[in-house]
Amino acid sequence: MARRPASLALRLTVSIGAVITVVLLTFGWMVQQSINSHFVQQDVDELNAVVQSLTQSLSEPPASQESDMLKGRLAAAVSGHHNAQFRVSDIHGNVIYASPNSDLDGFARLTPITGSITIDSVKIWRDKGQTYRGAVVQLMKKDLQGDEPLTLAVATGINFHLHYLESFRSYLRIITAVACLIAILATWLAVYQGHAPIRRISREIRRIKSDQLFIRLIPNTVPVELTELAVSFNDMLDRIEDGFQRLSNFSADIAHELRTPITNLKTQTEVALSQARGVEQYREILYSNLEEYERMAKMVGDMLFLAQADNNQLKPELVSVNLVTEVQDLFDYFEAWAEERSVSLIRQGPVLCVQGDRLMIRRALSNLLSNAIRYTPSGQAVTVSLAANSSDTVIIRVENPGLTINPEHLPRLFDRFYRADPSRQRKGDGAGLGLAIVKSIIDAHGGTVTAQDEDGQMVFEVALPKATVK
Amino acid sequence: MKLLVVEDEIKTGEYVRQGLVESGFMVDLARTGLDGHHLALTEDYDLIILDVMLPDVDGWRIVQALREAKSATPVLFLTARDSVEDRVKGLELGADDYLIKPFAFSELLARVRTLLRRGTTPVFNAQLQVADLVLDIPRRRARRQEVRINLTNKEFALLELLVRRQGEVLPRSLIASQVWDMNFDSDTNVIDVAIRRLRAKIDDAFEPKLIHTVRGMGYMLDVSSAS
Repeated sequence: MARRPASLALRLTVSIGAVITVVLLTFGWMVQQSINSHFVQQDVDELNAVVQSLTQSLSEPPASQESDMLKGRLAAAVSGHHNAQFRVSDIHGNVIYASPNSDLDGFARLTPITGSITIDSVKIWRDKGQTYRGAVVQLMKKDLQGDEPLTLAVATGINFHLHYLESFRSYLRIITAVACLIAILATWLAVYQGHAPIRRISREIRRIKSDQLFIRLIPNTVPVELTELAVSFNDMLDRIEDGFQRLSNFSADIAHELRTPITNLKTQTEVALSQARGVEQYREILYSNLEEYERMAKMVGDMLFLAQADNNQLKPELVSVNLVTEVQDLFDYFEAWAEERSVSLIRQGPVLCVQGDRLMIRRALSNLLSNAIRYTPSGQAVTVSLAANSSDTVIIRVENPGLTINPEHLPRLFDRFYRADPSRQRKGDGAGLGLAIVKSIIDAHGGTVTAQDEDGQMVFEVALPKATVK
Repeated sequence: MKLLVVEDEIKTGEYVRQGLVESGFMVDLARTGLDGHHLALTEDYDLIILDVMLPDVDGWRIVQALREAKSATPVLFLTARDSVEDRVKGLELGADDYLIKPFAFSELLARVRTLLRRGTTPVFNAQLQVADLVLDIPRRRARRQEVRINLTNKEFALLELLVRRQGEVLPRSLIASQVWDMNFDSDTNVIDVAIRRLRAKIDDAFEPKLIHTVRGMGYMLDVSSAS
């Protein structure tokens, strides 16, 4: 068993939810990145400011080499930057000055000296629960009063930045989660709401019972997307209604067709038995019964044939059938009968072959021909013409004058038991299954058969696949 | 001629037997497949009529057993299902002919006679004669009381069929199939018209009448004017 596809609501909710989640996460990440780089820039600016003011302090002429004096100056230089720490050392690594409470020894030793302090050159390190961002720079001789270049390590504590980022991140996480939930819920609601027309249609469809097949969906009351569905559904209802109608007519017709001969038989037998009769009379009654039975047997046979066709059990044994031979044989067969009715038979067209079951084709053509001969006024002719169609089909036209059928009834001629003229019933014309059998046979061959009125001529046109040349 | 009928439907079996007995055959009737199977293999029959749908041993098994026993007894089977598979299966298993229920008894009788005749080598007669009607087969000419009768090709074929099966009732469907190769029932009276025309040429001007209508069944050519 194939797995049932996931529900539409689930599919839409999952896909839209996933997209929204990704978008929100990306957005959050970008905001975070931008805040972070803003902080780094701030730190870099501060470090640069510190370096600059320290450089300035160091370059001022030393009134004296008293370190206290220098220390005081240096301390003053960073007074505005209370997170900043620094350490100045000479080329040999001896600390000249370090800001109070600072421990930049390790940092200064391990960090390579950079030319300038930028976002890319600053380093982060941790120490005693504090996180710093800092850099090590060389102060050149020319900038300084001293002879030796000095190494300056500066750092600024970034704990408060990190705290801020941390809380921002958790805040962002909650916001994102909530937003995603809301979005998914909203999507689901929207989808559910969006499916409302489907549920409405479904309710409408559920209303249609077998005795209300005339009900149709109104396509312009449903959303555009569902119009096609509604139209297809209506088409299907058309077909079902038609089939249903035919079927119920068919059952009614069968009952009717059987009731008449059975009534005859029953009455006749009852009357016959009501008193003693001569042998001749009994024989007469039995003969008459036999004729009724024959008719019923033929009708049952025809109905079985049609039932087989309905169940797709009609499997034509495909051979190449020469239509000219077939038509000529049928003419031979019907000749005497047609002559007696003063109807002549005319065949036209070239020698053509179709792909088909010879017996079935013969039966179909025989039914068409006998039908045509029957309704042709005496003194006129039935014409059978053969023609090859460009598209690999052969057209067989059986036409006769004396059209007495209302054109609107023409398509129904192939219905079972259909009689255009109700008075024709039971005048030895068979049970009205002949043309239905023609249609079944032609359908089984993948062909088509139509009935047309052409200037008062009754025309049956059969199209069958042309025989493939071997 | 001894026939075996295997048919579980009581009425059908009884009437088929009666009909065949009255047509001059000796008939054994088996009501079950098992009896039929036993009789078919132990007795010697000229022909076996077999219902396919039997409750115990079905018709196919009987045909198969018969053919495995190298028996060439012709078998005609009766089937209610008009399906090609059934017919093909029956004929493949070695049955000789089939009839679809409901069938006309006259049709059954005609088929039985055809099958029985099949074994005997047909005597080639250049000339067939019934009373004063003479058919010249190679020339396809007919004479009655030395008067040449002009017949169309199909009329001659029809007359030949009737003459060859003189005394047998030929149902319309058999005539349509043998003379015109129309193997289905037509809802027209084509055969009646054809017979009427043949009669006009063969019988109208002569005595005794040879072609007889057997009401409800078909036509028969015979010298005696029984009906």
